Amino acid sequence: MVSAEEPFLRIEGVSKSFGTFQAVKDVTLTVGKGEIFSLLGGSGCGKTTLLRMLAGFEEPTAGRIFLDGRDLAGVPPWDRPIHMMFQSYAIFPHMTVEANVAYGLKHEHGMDKAARAERVAAMLDLVQLTDFAKRKSHQISGGQRQRVALARALARQPKLLLLDEPLAALDKKLREHTQFELMSIQQRTGVTFIVVTHDQEEAMTLSDRIAVMDRGEVKQVGSPTDIYEYPVSRFVAGFIGSVNAFEATVLGHDGPHLRLEVPALGGAVLARDPLGVVVGQKIGLAVRPEKIRISKDRPEGVNVVAGQVKDLAYFGKDSLYRIAMPGGALVQAHAVNSSRGDEGVGVADWDDAVWLSFDPSAAIVLVD
Amino acid sequence: MSGGRLSRWFDRKGWTALLIGAPYLWLVLFFLLPFLIVVAMSVATKTPTAPPFSFGGEHPVVNLDAYGRVLTDGLYLRAFLTSITNALVAMILCLLIGYPMALGLTRVSKGWRNILLMLVILPFWTSFLLRVYAWMGMMGRNSWFNGLLTDSWNFLVPLDWAVRSVPMMHTNFAVVLVMVYTYLPFMILPLYASLERLDPVLDEAAMDLGSRPWQVFRDVTLPQSIPGIVAGGMLVFIPAAGELVIPSLVGNASSPMIGRLISDEFSSARDWPMASAVAVVLLVLMVVPTMLYSHFQAKSEGSK
Repeated sequence: MVSAEEPFLRIEGVSKSFGTFQAVKDVTLTVGKGEIFSLLGGSGCGKTTLLRMLAGFEEPTAGRIFLDGRDLAGVPPWDRPIHMMFQSYAIFPHMTVEANVAYGLKHEHGMDKAARAERVAAMLDLVQLTDFAKRKSHQISGGQRQRVALARALARQPKLLLLDEPLAALDKKLREHTQFELMSIQQRTGVTFIVVTHDQEEAMTLSDRIAVMDRGEVKQVGSPTDIYEYPVSRFVAGFIGSVNAFEATVLGHDGPHLRLEVPALGGAVLARDPLGVVVGQKIGLAVRPEKIRISKDRPEGVNVVAGQVKDLAYFGKDSLYRIAMPGGALVQAHAVNSSRGDEGVGVADWDDAVWLSFDPSAAIVLVD
Repeated sequence: MSGGRLSRWFDRKGWTALLIGAPYLWLVLFFLLPFLIVVAMSVATKTPTAPPFSFGGEHPVVNLDAYGRVLTDGLYLRAFLTSITNALVAMILCLLIGYPMALGLTRVSKGWRNILLMLVILPFWTSFLLRVYAWMGMMGRNSWFNGLLTDSWNFLVPLDWAVRSVPMMHTNFAVVLVMVYTYLPFMILPLYASLERLDPVLDEAAMDLGSRPWQVFRDVTLPQSIPGIVAGGMLVFIPAAGELVIPSLVGNASSPMIGRLISDEFSSARDWPMASAVAVVLLVLMVVPTMLYSHFQAKSEGSK
């Protein structure tokens, strides 16, 4: 990802304060051309402020933003080759769908009437709204409004498209469908997308890369797999998916692994060595529920712990178990219901004594 | 028994009918009925009796002489023209002054907004007549206000054009000035109500798509505030066109406005049919454009 040449979008040490409140703290990011890049975080994490600085609605208090080699400092929103799809879609209610899509094009002075009409028709075709061209925003559905907003933002062929919670206003079923539509439109147009979202699933499916943000800071940047499988901090591990987190102390290095003392699991555990930790250091240990195996008989290998099923939730294709450790801690484990034996579908039942095991590679050491 | 009957009488339909009926009853009693009396008077014949008109007998039942005079006598036509011109000028000035004020009200913080809104309404707390008299004092030849205007005029123009004082009282200028002052809140409040409803995100969207602030105003704010402009315009234009007090106090007696004429015909000339005919024509002139507007408004709402 990192190359010697100038990246397409470079955010360099950008901060933004409102009075004494620091909304964005020293964010540095690069985004490649044609990428779908997500800013993921809860409300108030600064993701929207960062997006508004890219659009030009806010000026950074410190730091600089370069797009395609051009410093955007002091460039007003109307002069930026960056367009935004607003969370509420912001469709002009007094104009037809067609006029909405054509709105930005009137600032394209080199374009004649026929070319504009052609572009509008192409955009409406792209989002499959040709039949609705003459309608007004109150005459179309929420999903259609989202597509009008997308077509309008793409009509001027921006270098960068900002999407503020693009799917939050849609119902669940429409959201999944629209997600794939967004991805396919991005592939066809090749425009770089920056998506702000609080929905980790949405970020995981949509994005090439994700920046996880918390309290104005970027906590981790990486591909969805990186973020999920190799979280670097307790915050990221907890924010993306569910996780079992334990406090641990480093006992020593053991070949490619790290040996940890984990009181909650009642003993020593082998984990993936993140390098750079020292013996005696207090760290966090995280194991995803689906990485924990449950069995009635004691399995061979390392990282095996005994426990008792306290609670189980049956979801059909899989079940979620809550297992009490001897020390009192509860561990969540996800198991796929692959067999349909005569003794019930699941691996274990309430109050059964079971063995839990996980690979050292599935045990993530969290330093931060 | 009777309680049951009473509650049946007050069933939901009965209440609904009452709720809808009461305003209609009010309108019929205090608007339609008096208006019909005025219409009837307008076709009566003037007599030296009390009341000073009569129908039938030696006179025709329907006498259209008054309407004939309204349409042919230059005095009435000029008065209508003066009224409509003054009211239009006042309306346009109110719009030009009121629009930035209303827009400003939507852009300030909530605390300031309440204070400023109260300042807009505040003049209503003092007597209207008192405020007109205050203007009369200010416009008079010897007032500090006139003196200030006179001095600045004399400072700016060549010596030949110098004046002793600016003639303001008893001119159409004075009428328009006081009407603008009086009716400005009626323009600001509906404008504010329609501007306040607009979503500021739409402004950002237009800006994001390449529009400079003035283009955002032209393309997004202005078109969406048209209902407010029309409402404010009508609230200023209609009473201003029929205004009696302001032209009587500060206006030019030799080119009267229509309200003044109606009052004069009624009281000094004791020609009630004539006064009624002028009033009916004025009402028709005001009502027809209003009805046309609401017709088209309803049509565009219906298409929504």
